[in-house]
Amino acid sequence: MNHIKLSIVGSVLAVGLLLTGCDNKLDINPINSVDAQQALQTAQDLDALLVGAYDALGNGNLYGGNLLRDAELLGDNGETTWNGTFLEPAEIARKAILTTNGQVRDTWLAAYYAINVCNTVLANLNLAEASERGRIEGEAKFIRGTMFFELIRLYARPWGDGDANTNPGVPLVLTPTTVLNQSNQVPRNSVAEVYAQVIKDLTEAETRLPATNGFFATKGAAAGMLARVYLQQGNNGPAASAADRVIASNRYQLVPIEEVFDLRLFINGFNTDETVFAVQVTDQDGVNNLNLYYAIRDYGGRGDIYIQERHLNLYEQADQRGGLFYEDDGGLIRTAKFVNQYGNVQVLRLAEMYLIRAEANFRNNTSVGATPLADINLIRARAGLAPLTQAQLTLNAILRERRLELAFEGTLIHDIKRTRQNIGTIRFNDPRLIYPIPQREIDANRALVQNPGY
Amino acid sequence: MKRFLLFVVWLGAFALPALAQERRVAGKVTLAEDGNPLPGVSVVVKGTTRGTQTDSEGNYSLTVPANVGTLVFSFVGTTSQEIPVGNQSTINVQLGSDTRSINEVVVVGYGSESKRNLTGNIAKVSGREIENLPVTSVEQAIQGRAAGVQITSLNGKVGQGLQIRVRGSSSVSASNQPLFVVDGIPITTGAPGDPNATAALTNPIADINFNDIESIDILKDASASAIYGSRASNGVVLITTKKGRQGKTQFELNAYGGFSSPTRKREFLNTQEYVQFFEEARANSVALGLTNITQAQLQNFFTANAAGDRANWEQGRINTNWQDQAYQDAPIQQYDLSARGGDARTRFYVSGSYLDQSGILINNRFRRLSGRFNLDHSATDKLTLGVNMNVARTVNNQLANDNSFTTPMQIVALPPISPVFDPTTNRLNDQTYYYNSLLDRDFASYETTSYRVIGNVFAEYRILPGLSFRSEWGADILNKNEEQYYGRETLLGNPNGVGINNFAQIVNYTTNNFFTFGRTFAERHDVDATVGMSYQESSTNFTQVQGRDFPSNAYKQIVAAARINAGLSTETAFSFLSYFARLNYRFNNRYILGLVGRVDGSSRFGVNNRYGIFPSASVGWILTEESFMKNIPVISNLKLRASYGLTGNAEIGNFGSRALYDGTAGYAGVPGQAPSQIANPDLSWEKTLQTDIGLEFGLLDNRLTGEIDYYTKNTRDLLLNVNVPGTTGFSTQLRNVGQLENKGFEFVLNTQNVRGAFQWSTNINVARNTNKITNLDGQIIQGGYINQAQEGSPIGVFFGREYAGVDPQNGDALYYRNTANADGSLDRSTTNNPNQAERVVIGNPNPSFIGGVTNTLSYKGLELSFLFQGQFGNQIYNAAGQYMSANGNFFDNQTRDQLRRWQRPGDITDVPQARLVGGNGTVESSRYLQDGDYVRLKTATLGYTLPKSLTNRAKLNRVRVYVTGQNLLTFTNYTGWDPEVNTDAAAGNIGLGNDFYSAPQPRTITAGINIGF
Repeated sequence: MNHIKLSIVGSVLAVGLLLTGCDNKLDINPINSVDAQQALQTAQDLDALLVGAYDALGNGNLYGGNLLRDAELLGDNGETTWNGTFLEPAEIARKAILTTNGQVRDTWLAAYYAINVCNTVLANLNLAEASERGRIEGEAKFIRGTMFFELIRLYARPWGDGDANTNPGVPLVLTPTTVLNQSNQVPRNSVAEVYAQVIKDLTEAETRLPATNGFFATKGAAAGMLARVYLQQGNNGPAASAADRVIASNRYQLVPIEEVFDLRLFINGFNTDETVFAVQVTDQDGVNNLNLYYAIRDYGGRGDIYIQERHLNLYEQADQRGGLFYEDDGGLIRTAKFVNQYGNVQVLRLAEMYLIRAEANFRNNTSVGATPLADINLIRARAGLAPLTQAQLTLNAILRERRLELAFEGTLIHDIKRTRQNIGTIRFNDPRLIYPIPQREIDANRALVQNPGY
Repeated sequence: MKRFLLFVVWLGAFALPALAQERRVAGKVTLAEDGNPLPGVSVVVKGTTRGTQTDSEGNYSLTVPANVGTLVFSFVGTTSQEIPVGNQSTINVQLGSDTRSINEVVVVGYGSESKRNLTGNIAKVSGREIENLPVTSVEQAIQGRAAGVQITSLNGKVGQGLQIRVRGSSSVSASNQPLFVVDGIPITTGAPGDPNATAALTNPIADINFNDIESIDILKDASASAIYGSRASNGVVLITTKKGRQGKTQFELNAYGGFSSPTRKREFLNTQEYVQFFEEARANSVALGLTNITQAQLQNFFTANAAGDRANWEQGRINTNWQDQAYQDAPIQQYDLSARGGDARTRFYVSGSYLDQSGILINNRFRRLSGRFNLDHSATDKLTLGVNMNVARTVNNQLANDNSFTTPMQIVALPPISPVFDPTTNRLNDQTYYYNSLLDRDFASYETTSYRVIGNVFAEYRILPGLSFRSEWGADILNKNEEQYYGRETLLGNPNGVGINNFAQIVNYTTNNFFTFGRTFAERHDVDATVGMSYQESSTNFTQVQGRDFPSNAYKQIVAAARINAGLSTETAFSFLSYFARLNYRFNNRYILGLVGRVDGSSRFGVNNRYGIFPSASVGWILTEESFMKNIPVISNLKLRASYGLTGNAEIGNFGSRALYDGTAGYAGVPGQAPSQIANPDLSWEKTLQTDIGLEFGLLDNRLTGEIDYYTKNTRDLLLNVNVPGTTGFSTQLRNVGQLENKGFEFVLNTQNVRGAFQWSTNINVARNTNKITNLDGQIIQGGYINQAQEGSPIGVFFGREYAGVDPQNGDALYYRNTANADGSLDRSTTNNPNQAERVVIGNPNPSFIGGVTNTLSYKGLELSFLFQGQFGNQIYNAAGQYMSANGNFFDNQTRDQLRRWQRPGDITDVPQARLVGGNGTVESSRYLQDGDYVRLKTATLGYTLPKSLTNRAKLNRVRVYVTGQNLLTFTNYTGWDPEVNTDAAAGNIGLGNDFYSAPQPRTITAGINIGF
């Protein structure tokens, strides 16, 4: 019997030891990720989070390229053809967007993701070294303001169409999300409120940002974006002076036309002297989706967008920009602006500042910084074209110059709305040219109202 | 812990007084048909775990307590017998053959039980039924053989994933796959693949050679599965491998070989049809102002795609059937050699096996070399030790998933006007409209090699008669090495070659330690009890490196890459600490009570919710034991049983409750971090309350046996990736919010239609399951292409626009508006603007019925068995219809049914007018939805066992030759490749019933031989 008792006691002891030995084994911590509380404790942590905001900005759905691609497709009037298999861009190109369009959803999500990262940076500025605080705040506000600007242009009625104070814009979210509850059911702010926030953010960014900041946002980038915002509002005086501040900073130089875009293949991108702000791409990190959709397979693209003759016909004989095209093996015309798979995505470049200053001055009958004629001829000269005379300088001439200089770079639909042009029979304020609020957002946030036409 | 100790002491107290006199019973067991001795028959004292096995001559000898009532003799493939001992000291028994005996022993968690005494629902498939089937993994082999178990091959690729649903889907976001347990050890069933690539996932269960399997027992109801607690809601699949048997060593050699081909091909346009069709489509679109493509541009396009020669398309000189290029000759062969034997003290089973199966798709192949060693040794009367060990090496030549230009089936999109070979270079045509995936066949390789060790050691000590302690220590170690190389000619390898290497290691340890107790008290009270603990820890490491720019395709390893452009390593882990107990009590051999409980703690649960309790209770009543039933001779067995219990689903991700930051947000070489997950401190397991009521019956001396079960499974606290407003910076949050239910019935019928020299038996299983999501907190969760999880509907319903056919006047595609009228009815008028058509539920991917019918016929040495398997009531959405059946929307080659397009006013058809880039009817709609019902002759085997007289002359025990066909016939109205489909590009809990360039299942025909010596 003793033997039996012993074996019972022995096996029970064995089990007991196992049990006590195991209990703390349930404490397994994440290894690839870090608990949020541990993630933000030092100045370096905040630096890393700010870099995360740039990473978010460079997402393929945003300045990684799709946002710019879609601005071109939505504004296209037969100068290019989408012949890819993805249905979402095809809907955008056809101006027949469904509320469930995945790109419309992803652009929204990616933009607000970036905004939340910026909000988190701004809420934790106390972690920053005092000397860095202004710069960090400026960078976060540059990205946040820029994102709200992109959202308001795509998801709401254009500025100047109807009453901006009553037209629904997009929700303004200015604090980081740490818990989820009813307060996240945010309604749309008015178009005017969103524009006001954009201008506030970008203005503060311009104040706080340094003139040079590596490839990150600078004073010039904030002023350049601000110039775009004012121009979009038709607020020509501030637009001209913001553009002028970029030009007058003398930090940027026009480069020869063949150097504006990266014509190398499969090599990490670089900023030119003309770059005011660009999304950085390397073979390690970042995407250039303009390359993906515009370039042919040999250059790492899908070749989904090709250019029609009617676009080429817009260029004068001597225009060197008309040479920035190539023909693929199937005889289709392609733009050479995006041939380097790892080339940076240009967001703001100096030429656009001259074009903004020229247009705003022209419309305002001013010559902040320089005369419109001088600015336009500077751009023309760089393209190898003869200068215009004062008599030839019309608004149309300026807009035409802008169209040719910035072709495929993601300004088309916004320029069409701003200048109230038609796309075929579609008027600039047609609901088809405004994105729907993504269906998933409507489903997840009952406070949102859908745009007309959807 | 305290309570546990008390329980053990209590058990011991019970056992001690029962140590009375013992005596010896011996005898011989023979097979009724031929009188031959039966080795390996289990002889157990009824109601206890005490027992032995017959030796090679069929003899046994057993010490039994004096008060013993009955001995149970059971052997796989025979009817069990129960013999009252009385005063006899010699009991000789003849066992009759029975392909599906009701008295068989079934494996339950941490033990086994006689089916007769079972109060839970367990579907058993014996290893014999699936031996030598020409498929790669065991789940494929049991398809159609277990009631209520739906097994779906995603597509016709070999060695790649499958979906299994036991009694429907019980989760929306967590896993719906059952827990797999091999010889007591939960095994790894998922392995990380390349996080960035589009490869179809491999299937770790394919590492097991199912010819080594003795039985597969699928625990379905709560009574059976609650012993696995928080991981039991999706059912538990217990795999028991073949054990050694006392007796002369028996060798068995199996070999088979054969080939596979696609079960079906689709028809596409030929060159003449293609050219005509697209010329018509262009003209239509130009007339409607939809495009500015000129006739000349279109013809230039044709010429450019037809190797630059106009005559090639104009005169039809090139007419390529691209589909045929996607397939390859697909041989299959397998060789097995096993030995089984042992003496009274040591018993063993060893085997080695080699399988080489080529898929029907180019570059798809699976090879497995595996060995098994199972040994148990009785060190003393009381102590048994042993080891079960499986070692396997598998090599899988994988393919990209269905939504990839490089996957072979997407080649069907290529215009027939393009040649396979470029006539000017005589090389593979690399100027095709879409990527020519034959370039991947010739210039890319994707080979995954897995090394797998699944093993455990165990010791069992009989402390007292009826009370023993068992300790099991097991490990499942999976090493998976994926080597990919894409030459410069390929899409991914452009311009100078790309190499990718992924390495995953999953180490999964388990220990189980438990007491079992079994005794009969006062002849009328039978008690079985199990109590113990289990601990499991699993960690997964993954590394990847990617390089580009190789000197030539001769170099495939990344050491030769000029640039290393990506690399990463990740690690994740989880653990479970569990306590479990089971008590079965039988009174008078007819009233049965079962109580099961498990406490599970897991690292996955939040600190506040660290332990969950999962109890179940069940009752059974064997009516045929009652005196009032004994006079009804036609009824040989009748049992009612019912169970109710709680199980969980802990497959909720390893760190789902935490607020997390990821360090992957670097930018241009500067390190960065960003929030990746919002916290939910309340996160816990999903809970399923299951009720099962069953009736088991045997009629006419068990010539006709069966089971009928009705069940309801109510799952609450569903883990949901709830859509949150994107304005928060997050898109989803994990929450326990939803509820869903599954209910249905299962019907199993086994009949011996003809007995005697000619035998014919039939096994039928039919199951109906209805799934309904009752609460998703108002959420709508999308998956697949147009699948949706929404309240009031079954999971994964197809939600989209309802296609209304074609306007006979102008050829426009029409959709029902389905907008709500003021009175609540739906507006059934049609529109040609899809944006004006509301999306509604247009179909259900879940079958309402699944089932299988096996017939086995034998006459002398000849036997024929065939299994029809099918599912009914579900729909299939062909997401590729938007491209391949899009009336000329893109330049993709079109299915031939598009020739029915509308052409002139008055045409009545369901295919709209052809319009190039016109998007006429190509939005996601019910146009691409079809009924998916099918019946398939899944397996048919014709075998012949040579007469003994002949084999004995060659000094062999047994020689059997056979031919087997898999997927021989399919009956369906689905017009796609295969109704057994769920594309691997979109398969998930919600992504169900989708076809997307998915390869059909292979039709495989093999011939083989088994030799026993």
